[in-house]
Amino acid sequence: MLTLFEREQLDLNNLTDEQTAIKVEDLNLKFGQKQVLEEISMLIPKHRITAFIGQSGCGKSTLISSFNRMNDLHNDCTYDGKIYIGGRNINSRKENVSQLRSRVGMVFQRPNPFPMSIFENVCYGLKLKGITTRRQLDDAVERALKEAALWDEVKDRLFEPATVLSGGQQQRLVIARALALQPEILLLDEPTSALDPLTTLFIEELMAELKKRCTIIIVTHNMQQAARVSDYTAFLHQGRLIEYSDSDTLFTTPEMKQTEDYITGRYG
Amino acid sequence: MRQVAFNTHISNKFNTELENLRNSVLTMGGEVEQQLVDTLKAIKLNHAGLAEKVVLNDLKINSMELQIDKECLRIIAKRHPTASDLRLIMTISKAITDIERMGDEIERIARLVTKGKLPSSQSVRSSMLLIGDKVAAMMRGTFDAFARQDERAALDVYNEDNRIDAEYKKLLGHVVEEMEKNTDSMQDWLEILWALRSLERVGDRCKNVCEYVVTLTSGEDARHASVESMMQKLEDLS
Repeated sequence: MLTLFEREQLDLNNLTDEQTAIKVEDLNLKFGQKQVLEEISMLIPKHRITAFIGQSGCGKSTLISSFNRMNDLHNDCTYDGKIYIGGRNINSRKENVSQLRSRVGMVFQRPNPFPMSIFENVCYGLKLKGITTRRQLDDAVERALKEAALWDEVKDRLFEPATVLSGGQQQRLVIARALALQPEILLLDEPTSALDPLTTLFIEELMAELKKRCTIIIVTHNMQQAARVSDYTAFLHQGRLIEYSDSDTLFTTPEMKQTEDYITGRYG
Repeated sequence: MRQVAFNTHISNKFNTELENLRNSVLTMGGEVEQQLVDTLKAIKLNHAGLAEKVVLNDLKINSMELQIDKECLRIIAKRHPTASDLRLIMTISKAITDIERMGDEIERIARLVTKGKLPSSQSVRSSMLLIGDKVAAMMRGTFDAFARQDERAALDVYNEDNRIDAEYKKLLGHVVEEMEKNTDSMQDWLEILWALRSLERVGDRCKNVCEYVVTLTSGEDARHASVESMMQKLEDLS
């Protein structure tokens, strides 16, 4: 029979190592006595956009923060379980966290450029890594700004303060700063919630381009955004992974009633 | 005529999805058109093998309807289309039902050949082929109008259905005369009547698709509009 529309059919329970960016095994996480994540196990595919959706406080930001050990910054955070990135368990005590964070970049809800020039913002991480040659920095800054679709807008004013940029430009600058380190994975925590609808669409289009270079994981409250941009979607509720499937299926025929209730606005 | 560009969204993927969706309707339309051409050829040559192929091919058209419908549903759920994008998807979702039914009607006509029940009267058969050719031309015009989002072309094709209806009524009278002469083969004549009715219904389905094209391009719901108001529209566009 003639197939009119080609669709990727990855089996999320049986990804090969080649196809897997992150493997989460029995992850439990607590802040003090409060259980925030409970028995999370999942495989996140490489070079795809995976969205995490769920109510506020369901644990989605905490979960993606586990992928570059940002939760370690909370003194009362304890966790067990394993998270494999590139075959290594990053929850191991031996893991070099600063190296991990250069491999797993993160962008937050509000653009947070450093109070320095556009150029300095982008090469900040590279300098921390010990790259100081002007030529190398120039090349890296240009490449990162091009990847973040910002180069044409700022190439003539690279040494102006980053704070003069608009909100959408600042957010792309922050993405460029993460991209300069050539991360394998880019974590985006509500990256467009402070932006206008049109700028949001530009950032979303940027994500579609960036997934060719790295794996993207996005947390969003905006279900329409999750539906538009993601290839795969995970729905979390009270720290548990309720449903995780390709976004086409999750947004048209979810398997779990809880998911159906959430995405159709029947949650109560 | 207002032609909407469906390839100017910020999201390239959305552009591609809408383009693929539009193309899929034209692919489906092309298949149905070929089914009609093959059926008319099978009638002309009394070729049971070719008619059998048409009957089997109908499954392919049914599958296309399901796939396109699923894609419409997926795009609505994921993209939340509005305005012309939403009209396009709703138009396609409705049009493919009509196109699939065209396929069913054509299959019914083809079965006349597979069962060996073609009319023995050469004049009835010739008139049937004549109407068939007109319906085929109407179908081509319909899909052309859809591909080009051409409201004027859609109204021209819409108007063509009146001529087909007139031919059909004329042929119906002729068939009734033949039936009266050959009362012993009444069952066969009834099957011929049904097949003729199917041919005429294909024309009606084309008319429906033309209405959807008008709705898509003008934004006005053209369903159930009177022939006069549609012709007035055509005059206004001239």
